[in-house]
Amino acid sequence: MSRLLSADFAKLKKNKFFWICIIGMFLFGIFMTGMDHIAMISDGYVPHITNVLFVYAITVALLIPAFTGLFIGTEYSDGTLRNKLIIGHTRRNIYLSNLITCSAAGILFCIPYIIGSLMIGIPLSGIEDGTLKGIVILILLSFLMATAFNALCTITGLLCQSKAMTVVINILAACFLIVMSIYVLSKLSQPETYSGVSLDTATGKVSVEEEIDNPDYLEGTEREIYQFFNDFLPTGQAVNISQAGGASGRPELLAAYSAGIIIVSTAIGIFIFGRRDIK
Amino acid sequence: MDYILTADSLSKHYRHFKALDGFSIHVPKGSIYGFVGKNGAGKTTLIRLVCGLQDPTHGTYTLYGMKNTEPGIAKCRRRMGAVVETPSIYLDMTAMDNLKEQYRIIGLPSFDDIPELLHLVGLENTGKKKVKHFSLGMKQRLGIALALAGSPDFIILDEPINGLDPQGIIEMRELILKLNRERQITFLISSHILDELSRLATHYGFIDSGHMVREISAKELDAACRKCIRVQVSDVRVLARVLDEMKIDYNIFSDTMADIYAKTNISKLTLALAEQDCDIISLTEREESLESFYVNLIGGGNQNE
Repeated sequence: MSRLLSADFAKLKKNKFFWICIIGMFLFGIFMTGMDHIAMISDGYVPHITNVLFVYAITVALLIPAFTGLFIGTEYSDGTLRNKLIIGHTRRNIYLSNLITCSAAGILFCIPYIIGSLMIGIPLSGIEDGTLKGIVILILLSFLMATAFNALCTITGLLCQSKAMTVVINILAACFLIVMSIYVLSKLSQPETYSGVSLDTATGKVSVEEEIDNPDYLEGTEREIYQFFNDFLPTGQAVNISQAGGASGRPELLAAYSAGIIIVSTAIGIFIFGRRDIK
Repeated sequence: MDYILTADSLSKHYRHFKALDGFSIHVPKGSIYGFVGKNGAGKTTLIRLVCGLQDPTHGTYTLYGMKNTEPGIAKCRRRMGAVVETPSIYLDMTAMDNLKEQYRIIGLPSFDDIPELLHLVGLENTGKKKVKHFSLGMKQRLGIALALAGSPDFIILDEPINGLDPQGIIEMRELILKLNRERQITFLISSHILDELSRLATHYGFIDSGHMVREISAKELDAACRKCIRVQVSDVRVLARVLDEMKIDYNIFSDTMADIYAKTNISKLTLALAEQDCDIISLTEREESLESFYVNLIGGGNQNE
């Protein structure tokens, strides 16, 4: 296993797409924080470091499927997966080595954004008292989310023997899940009531009346189901984390969901990959 | 005889298609084993099984005496190398980086002998040129270099000369012969380019429709393919007596026909036979090549995949 990890990390170090993503995420962090600061000041608001600090969560949800598809897909397109099998490495170790390497890459995509954002954000806005703990928790949750997302992408990467097909499936699935998660979040964010407003046509006076129940507000089992998808799906977590928490549940629950996805998807992936005919 | 690879009753089915069916093979240690068959006969399927890329549907094979179902088979595979169909190399890396990757996968602690390996396959001057810019012959040679990493004593090459130019074919042949002679590496070479194979192989296995039709050594094949005179006579027993008296090598294969393996004075033979009331009905000169041997064995049907 250590030999495979050594080879895979050496390959990662030479991967152009990886370095482009790392540099791109660093510049993106600087850009987003700088732009947010300018916009807040010009609109008369007080800028907070957390406004855009977690935007990377949704960005990596798009980068990871592309990267994992390309990184693992190369093993099939160049045929190098065969070299590992021929000299006697087990399929389980090959699977785990790819998962660990891609997960490390996924986490490394987050870090340059955070560094870039903090480099600009701390001198301009500073860190408010009491927010540091929350920031650390969200960052750790985002790492777990990225790993869970990687675990899902590794399944397609190692089970689909076409590099192009892997990338297409991964990106399409990620886009679908992101859209679905945004929809779920918008449903959960509906207010329970809204204020009734009436207009007196004679006087032209607008008056605020009593609170009216919002028919779009989710309740009972329906709300629980939406909340589950919001917390369970890695993209749901990504959307919530990018909004500094959003409508997500307790951190330990999110962490447990991510860990569950990693364990179950890896077990399924290893089981199927172990029985697959390699050409 | 010591065998590196053996298989008995090995089968591999893809749904209803039987790629290998009751297949057997015996690859002697130190040999260059030419694995001959049509497209779709099952050559690559066997190679995939032996390389651990796929599992047999039924039956087993042994590698260095270890059954494929035993846990120790992974260790045995460390002693082999293979180039299956196309060379398995990272196109975005240099030859040196590809070999470093392979060394890491194998777990070799030092890269010191990589230059020697590159020199062996004639790629020592490729520098920073990426593999995607290599010619097909260079890629094939790099594939062999990767297979040689870790000093294996058994190398499997699947169609190694496909797509190579004449110079590339000569270089590949010389490389294989050199490795076989100097390092005693056993080769299993699948090919349907018979002429080229006949210049290399010490043993042959002929496969058709997933069955091993015949295994034969190059010596036996030479004997079978010797230049001969095929003669049809009225009494083959008289012919045998006369040939024995003349101390001529022959082979009788029917009541009236025999092959004579020597330059014979036809007039003398005819007179000797006539003295014993034996007539010569027909007489033809024959020379069998690996190609004609293969066609006779497998049949000349055009049943491609």
